Amino acid sequence: MKKDNILDNNYLPFAARIEDIVIESEDGSLKTFKIVFEDEADWEKWRHEPGQFAMLSVAGKGEAPIGIASSPYERDGLLFTVNRAGVVTTALHEMAVGARLGVRGPLGNGFPVDGDLKGKNIVIIAGGFAFTTLRATLLYLLENRGDFGDITVIYGARTPGMLLYRNEFLDWEKRDDINLYVTIDREAEGWHGLVGFVPQIVSQVNPSPEGARALICGPPIMIKFTMPPLEKAGWQDNQVYLSLENRMKCGIGICGHCSSGPIYVCKDGPVFTRAFLNTIPQEY
Amino acid sequence: MLKKKILKKDHVVPFLRRLSRDKRLIMPVKRERGEVLYEEVNSLDDTVPDLSRQPQESLKPFFFPQEETIFTYKTGDNGYSFNTVDETDETVFFGVRSCDISGILYMDVIFLRGPIDPFYSRRRNKAIIIGMACNEPEDKCFCYASRSGPFLEVGFDLQLTDLGNRYFVESGRARGDAIFEEFSLFFQEVTEEDEKLRYQLSLEARSLFKRQVYLETAFNRLKTGDFDEKIWAHIAKRCDRCGGCAHICPTCTCFTIFDSPIDETQGERIRAWDACTHEGFTRMAGGHNPVPPEDALKRRFMHKLYYDRLSFKRSGCVGCGRCVDMCFGGIDMASFVRLLCS
Repeated sequence: MKKDNILDNNYLPFAARIEDIVIESEDGSLKTFKIVFEDEADWEKWRHEPGQFAMLSVAGKGEAPIGIASSPYERDGLLFTVNRAGVVTTALHEMAVGARLGVRGPLGNGFPVDGDLKGKNIVIIAGGFAFTTLRATLLYLLENRGDFGDITVIYGARTPGMLLYRNEFLDWEKRDDINLYVTIDREAEGWHGLVGFVPQIVSQVNPSPEGARALICGPPIMIKFTMPPLEKAGWQDNQVYLSLENRMKCGIGICGHCSSGPIYVCKDGPVFTRAFLNTIPQEY
Repeated sequence: MLKKKILKKDHVVPFLRRLSRDKRLIMPVKRERGEVLYEEVNSLDDTVPDLSRQPQESLKPFFFPQEETIFTYKTGDNGYSFNTVDETDETVFFGVRSCDISGILYMDVIFLRGPIDPFYSRRRNKAIIIGMACNEPEDKCFCYASRSGPFLEVGFDLQLTDLGNRYFVESGRARGDAIFEEFSLFFQEVTEEDEKLRYQLSLEARSLFKRQVYLETAFNRLKTGDFDEKIWAHIAKRCDRCGGCAHICPTCTCFTIFDSPIDETQGERIRAWDACTHEGFTRMAGGHNPVPPEDALKRRFMHKLYYDRLSFKRSGCVGCGRCVDMCFGGIDMASFVRLLCS
């Protein structure tokens, strides 16, 4: 019997290790892992677009799809902000700096930063820990600032302690080329910023749809209530991009778990225009 | 020009013996209790092919096993490392029913349209497929409705038609022609009478189906919404979510992936068949399930009858009828289409 190594096995991860861990949220449920590849040659080949995701592998536990939080320009490692939810993410949360894991990707399509978004005013709307791939996207926009019009960011979390990337938000606040609105759900001691749910803030900011595109990530309930104020302001469904999350196994459009009508969220998405999503069954 | 030959029934076993001398041989075999299954045969001395009826299971497991290792891993001081090996041998599949060949053609779309699945593609590239046209469809069969039988035009290397004491053999591609050439001693020339008989049998077979399943009408109804929406609640109530239909279906290719540790430092990553009617199929780690349990079977039928047609220009059903035998809730493909079109 012939035994050759399968070189084109697209289920194989890259061997990697955790270089740094940042606890992002006050309740410890969100951690950002900085991950570096063991083999420099693997890392040299790695290229991703903002909005793509990867499968993180923990030996003996399996794989979970996680959005890539680092921008393509951060070449000292990949960042993943992980919510502790299931078997793999719980195992990840228990791992320390130096621990070994696997990375398979990049997977999915990403936001069309080099296509439809170019030259447009960009409105980023995010809730909770869904800011991760939008962080990658925002950093990309800032790196190529001249290619885009106004940049507006509306970001909300339950409490100040649940806001991601606080130090970076402080830096972004100082810039005059981003309109930044950070909000928390309810009044909290020591918080002097905006208070209110993301849809309310969207309503107040009332971003103009003129030459603009909106990128929205957040819990389903936030997305549901964010759409009416946008529609009222005249936004069309083909101006709104959403990033979906479905249960996934293979990540390459074969295993069937994430399919929704004619599409696979993993391969055809996770980024879709709302106009497209209106044409498929709501199985996401 | 693809060739046609005659193979006398007496010559079948000697031919197979020669053809599979340096290859694996899979063919329908009758087992002790009377059931017929596709099985690997090591010696043709005491096992003969049983072509009398449709094997209970399709060829799916030979191309996409119920469970397989996609890599082994090790952890430790040297890091987290992975290894995969290719154990695919050249294989002759003999006596394959038209529905099962059609099932493979459907799997080709899923596993090979890109990104290419390395495991499926290796097995597929090393498969020689000798099909068996169906002169007499069984009670449960409806392959005429999905245009995946009873006689095929493509998808095989060779296709046999039973003419009584001999088989009419047609080649479906260059490799079939090459088999005729390499094993020419076993074959004879086709006469005009053979051609006529084969043609007559293919026409007759079409008229022998006992079951009318209107897949085309089903597609149109699902497209236009011309049906009673209550059908979804009805079928959901009758489904016991056993996953049997997905298991037995030649075109159900959904799988899950999980780790199977041997100990702390090593283990395997496995992929295994999964079924969309199982409750956890679409449920996410946080507990949210975008497909409520009562919609799982609706999603399944929409996928096979509607979205596959839209995406791949072919129905996700090959009309083999195995789910008719399998489903004890009485909501197999044929019954569902009957309900939808009534």
